[in-house]
Amino acid sequence: MPPKVDREKCDGCKAENEPLCEQICPGDLFTLGEDKKARCRMPRDCWDCMSCVKICPKGALETRVPYQIGYHQAKLIPLMGTNSITWTLIDLNGKVERFHYINRGSLD
Amino acid sequence: MSLKVTPKIAIFFANEGDELSQSVDLAALVPRFSRAKNVSCCEVLPGGGAGKNREDIIAKYQQGMFNRILWVGRFSPEQRRNWESDLAAAGLNPYLQEWCDLREQGIYHEKDLRELQTQKAMILIQMSLARTRLLEPLEPLCLPGTDAVLVVGGGTAGLHAVAALAQAKKKVYLIEQQSAVGGKVAELGRLYPRICDPHCGLDFIIQKIRKTKSVEIHTLSRVVAVEGGPGNFFVRVLKAPRYVDEERCNACGECRKVCPVVLPEETSGPYGCQHAPETVCESTFRKCAISPPWPLNFPTAYVIARPLCPPHCRKCEKACPSAAVLLDQPPTELTFRVGAMLVTTGWDPYALAKVEEYGYGRYPNVISNLEMEQQDALPGEIREVGFIQCAGSRDERHLDYCSAVCCSVTLKQVLALKEKNPAVRCYIFYQDIRTPGLGEELYQRVKALEGVLFIRANPAVVRPRQDGRLALRVEDTFSGKELDLSVDLLVLAGGLIPSEGTSEIADVLKLPRNAEGFFESHLPCHSEESQRTGIRVGGTSRGPMGIDRAIETAQQAALDVLPFLQETIEVTPTVPVLNLSKCDKCKRCMEECPFGSFLFDAEGFSQVDLGRCRQCGGCMGTCPLLAVSRRHSTIEQLAAQVRAVKPSFLAREEPVLLAFLCANDAYPAVRRAAELGLSIPLNVFHITVPCIGAVNNALIADALAFGSDGVLIAGCRDGQCHYIKGNQLIKTRGDDLKAKLQSMIMDPRRVRLTNLEIRDSRAYVELIHSYLKELKEMGPNPFRA
Repeated sequence: MPPKVDREKCDGCKAENEPLCEQICPGDLFTLGEDKKARCRMPRDCWDCMSCVKICPKGALETRVPYQIGYHQAKLIPLMGTNSITWTLIDLNGKVERFHYINRGSLD
Repeated sequence: MSLKVTPKIAIFFANEGDELSQSVDLAALVPRFSRAKNVSCCEVLPGGGAGKNREDIIAKYQQGMFNRILWVGRFSPEQRRNWESDLAAAGLNPYLQEWCDLREQGIYHEKDLRELQTQKAMILIQMSLARTRLLEPLEPLCLPGTDAVLVVGGGTAGLHAVAALAQAKKKVYLIEQQSAVGGKVAELGRLYPRICDPHCGLDFIIQKIRKTKSVEIHTLSRVVAVEGGPGNFFVRVLKAPRYVDEERCNACGECRKVCPVVLPEETSGPYGCQHAPETVCESTFRKCAISPPWPLNFPTAYVIARPLCPPHCRKCEKACPSAAVLLDQPPTELTFRVGAMLVTTGWDPYALAKVEEYGYGRYPNVISNLEMEQQDALPGEIREVGFIQCAGSRDERHLDYCSAVCCSVTLKQVLALKEKNPAVRCYIFYQDIRTPGLGEELYQRVKALEGVLFIRANPAVVRPRQDGRLALRVEDTFSGKELDLSVDLLVLAGGLIPSEGTSEIADVLKLPRNAEGFFESHLPCHSEESQRTGIRVGGTSRGPMGIDRAIETAQQAALDVLPFLQETIEVTPTVPVLNLSKCDKCKRCMEECPFGSFLFDAEGFSQVDLGRCRQCGGCMGTCPLLAVSRRHSTIEQLAAQVRAVKPSFLAREEPVLLAFLCANDAYPAVRRAAELGLSIPLNVFHITVPCIGAVNNALIADALAFGSDGVLIAGCRDGQCHYIKGNQLIKTRGDDLKAKLQSMIMDPRRVRLTNLEIRDSRAYVELIHSYLKELKEMGPNPFRA
């Protein structure tokens, strides 16, 4: 399911030429709208890789879990640490599962 | 990047007076850490490390047994400094030492808790050890500097700064937009409290400046652009033509005799008192196109108001015996390379016409206090004069603030008036008379005069009468009586506002200003700071003040810029470093830096101007890609510390709290709490950061992900941050993070911001206890193992 932009939170990366989500998206789907907020221009092409969700410094992006894994209300939320990610998976019954992964390699 | 040497860490426990061994089991800790990774030596120093220990440690270092040190135990700041300097003499870089104070972290002589305290000590030492492994040797950075300084604004404050800097043998460029220096003070009649002539003081300082050769004065000039940073500012100045050669003109006045332009006597005040230019040449009284400089005759060369010249008139050129007139002089653009800048752009009077009820500008005998300075120009038959204080000041419709000088100015004017004409009656309408400090004497002197009446009220009605006098109706708030008075002259004590030049230079230099338009600064700690390194402000551009304070602030500002006027400027090496392979030019660092230290490099990446940077680490806190690290508290070092917190030493129902402390306020408060013997719970771990703005959200996420139940971020109180907006930065970022936690079905209260002052030790301990209670109610963090 395509990424959803919280327009209240999104600051368009302070109106730079390319916001971070635009830079990271492997499908080059993001662009800055006329209101200087990020916008997914081809929602159907999204692969749900969640790169944009992970990189957004304002926490303004959200993707829904593909229907093969969970239906409408299900959510998968990453929280980025310095060298680790925690995932919170909320399924359509509201059941919460959490995972914590430490990245390999050092910070630099 | 320096060559990486494998760390060989020595851990020294300072067990002075058995303080450590009473609270923790040293016999268990020492062997445990002897085996730790990268640790080559782990010892207990019996006497805290004086005398023999010192030689012993230095000898061991010189034998190559270790190349960095982790000190565990209590060390006073003096002890730390001594160790650092002693070891630096032996060759150990001071940045390769880490200090781990267990007492600050709540480990104290509690016999019952010895086992638990030992376990906490283990984690604390692990945390410090993780950091010690990542320490890097740092040397002070040297930036090229310039031995010259530029002062903008040649009023009293500017002149005193120039004199001070010239005395310190610096090259000084003074930029003044009028045709001569002197500023507002040259327009004044008398100075309080000595009731002396301001020209005396100005002349005195100008004599001083004249004697030195290192001062270059550029009049009719304004700063148009600035490039570069502290140590190397390149300032572009546009100099309007004077049409008279400054070096040749000797102010003989021959030119004025032939000038065909005759101007009517210009009257700026409706009552006929004027800010007449000081006439140097006694024989010339009429105003013409060529005239002496204003407001003072320094520099002495005349100046031509070229738009007034009739076409093709070149009479002055022919008349000048020194061939100094240059009627075709073009404007010039000059560039100065200076190490620092000083802004003393001063004040303007508040436009009193806006205070409509007193009729300034409508009635000829209502004048401003600045016009009242020229008392000699007043007609002689004045019998009664009214003075209205706070005309436009301390008034929500006009200026919110007190202009600080108007009370004393009025008192001074009354004194001068009475001296000249003892029969004159003065009414002073006031809200409060404010003559702080020794100024009280002036107030008492005026109060004792006969025929001076203080009325605590401002007139409600000011009307002109048939005979040309003014009728005032005023209700005296003390007696409650309504008074009908009439005066010959009404003087409005108007307030001070930042001058036009102040606004102009603020735009060029991008200096932040407060709501009133004055330059903002952190008063108790950096009073002359302008929030831009290498640029200092002084005088009334900082706020309303009297001449004495204006001179003091300007001289202090001059003292403050001296370090930038060396051949090399030494910069503490704890600067931010950008990892360009990670940076993707999002330029959040540039947006959020409180000091405007970031510039674009040739490829569009952010680049730190090390001279401007104040090393708060706000950029490190803000970078979404962790590409910025402030040296000596790098993101890796902080992350390693956070990761070493192991909450499992406590039972699962006991919450563990990680607190990030601002080094300026919160950390001293905690240190003091330890000194006072307040009980800091074992559940809390402290990590000190240069400013809470440096705490990246990723670090908070790490803390939660590795099992801490709560994260406390303790910074300064609002408006007290040394780095101006550290608390605001963390507040916005914290709000974003809390919203995310909410969506993750985690209690957003697990992240808490608090503001502490340096003496808030008790408040801090209370806060920790109540927060721990709250966390206990929330239950353990879902990520806690």
